[in-house]
This record gives sequence, C-alpha cells and structure tokens, in this order.
Amino acid sequence: MVILRPEETGLKQLLDRILDKGVVVDTSVRIDLGSVDFLGAKARIILASFKTAEKTGLDFPEGTNLNTSAWQDLKTKQPCPVCGIESKREELKKEGCLWCGWNYRPDES
Amino acid sequence: MGGTTDQMRVKTMERTTLTPEKDDSSGLAGAIDRILDKGLVINADITIDVSGVELLGIKIRAALASFETAAKYGLEFPSGTNLETAAWKEALIEKEECPQCGKRVDREELLNIACPWCGWESAKAKKRKEMKVGAKVEVQ
Repeated sequence: MVILRPEETGLKQLLDRILDKGVVVDTSVRIDLGSVDFLGAKARIILASFKTAEKTGLDFPEGTNLNTSAWQDLKTKQPCPVCGIESKREELKKEGCLWCGWNYRPDES
Repeated sequence: MGGTTDQMRVKTMERTTLTPEKDDSSGLAGAIDRILDKGLVINADITIDVSGVELLGIKIRAALASFETAAKYGLEFPSGTNLETAAWKEALIEKEECPQCGKRVDREELLNIACPWCGWESAKAKKRKEMKVGAKVEVQ
C-alpha cells in the first residue's frame, strides 16, 4: 500500500502556503488638517510560521529558549516528496524515506 | 431503485469492515490545527506621530502556538505554570501523525514498530520484518 501525501485543498493549504512564505504588511498613513501635517501612523507587521521566522531571523518574544531540539529539527529536516513526513536531510538522501520507502536512487539500495 | 439499494448495501458492507481512516478535516478546524501545530509569529512595529512629533510607539513580538508546540520550542509560559506535570513531559516526546489513521503517536514507535492504533507499518519496520523472516527460513 502506497501512502501518498494527503492531497490538501482549500483553506488548509492556502494558510499553509501563506505562512510558509510569510506576509509583510507595511503601511503608513498621513492625515493633513488644513494643509498642516496633523497625524501620522506607521505600521510594519510580519506574519510567518515558526519555520519561516527562524529561517529569516525574525525576533521571538523575550524568554524564548532557542536551543531546544525542535529548533535544530527546523534546520535539518526535510519533508519526503512522497509521503510528506519529515526526516533528516542527510538520512533522506542516503537511505531514502524510512517511512514510505521512497528512494531517489532506487538502484543502489 | 434497484441501483440505490445495491449502493446502500455496499455502503453498509463498507461500514462493517472497520478500516481506520484519517478523517480529512480540511475545513476551518484542520486549518486552525495546522497553524497551532506549526506555530505563528506575529511581529509588528507601530508608531503614531502628531504634527511630526512621535507620540506613541508599539512593538509587538508575538508567537502563537499550541501547548505542545510552545513546549517544544521553549516559549515562555505565564509565571505560575507548573511545568513538572506529566502532560508536559508527554508533550516533549517527539510525535508523528500516523499516515493511515492520523493519530499522533510516539515517532520512534511508529517508525520502528508500527502504529499502536491501526497497525500501519513504516518501510523501515517492514524491511526489518522481512529480514527476520528470511533469517528464520535460513535456520530451518
């Protein structure tokens, strides 16, 4: 039985895509009153998944422990192209996917 | 009419053979699940000035995640949270979603043995099993 990465459609995939890419909202608003500069507002907002935030070096809230193994996993793991389960990149290259059996050089195993 | 009863019969037959399946929650619940599981960072710098004089500055560094994800990534919890309970230790065990039934299971167990819920076996577990069978045949 071949287990394929679940075909995801709709909202879930959309959000996934958005958060993996990251969203930047950069706005500035200026209100003049009788040709005099009156009120101004500037907002820079970033929205991203943890993985994207880590990759692009975004700030995390104070007190976050950035040395846990989960952070390491973000850097070293890669999803299998067939089943989508994440494994270490080196392992995936060398031995193929231990979960679904995918191997990118099937002749050598 | 005959067709529909046949279809119904097939459906009931399908229901009686219990095959665990992942319920495809691709709606809002699935989306929220995914966001909380992956974690979301919201950073914002907002300034407001009145006639050229900076009046107010807001700096937001927010991380949104499920308890499990927050524990794994070492986010700080509000003071007074008891992090020594069994549930926290459970949250730190690496888990993976079973590809067949969708239950979250201990990653090592799922990879090396099988899914304790539906019996799904990974390629690694299958290979190991085959090798064992081969060895037994040789002994005989």
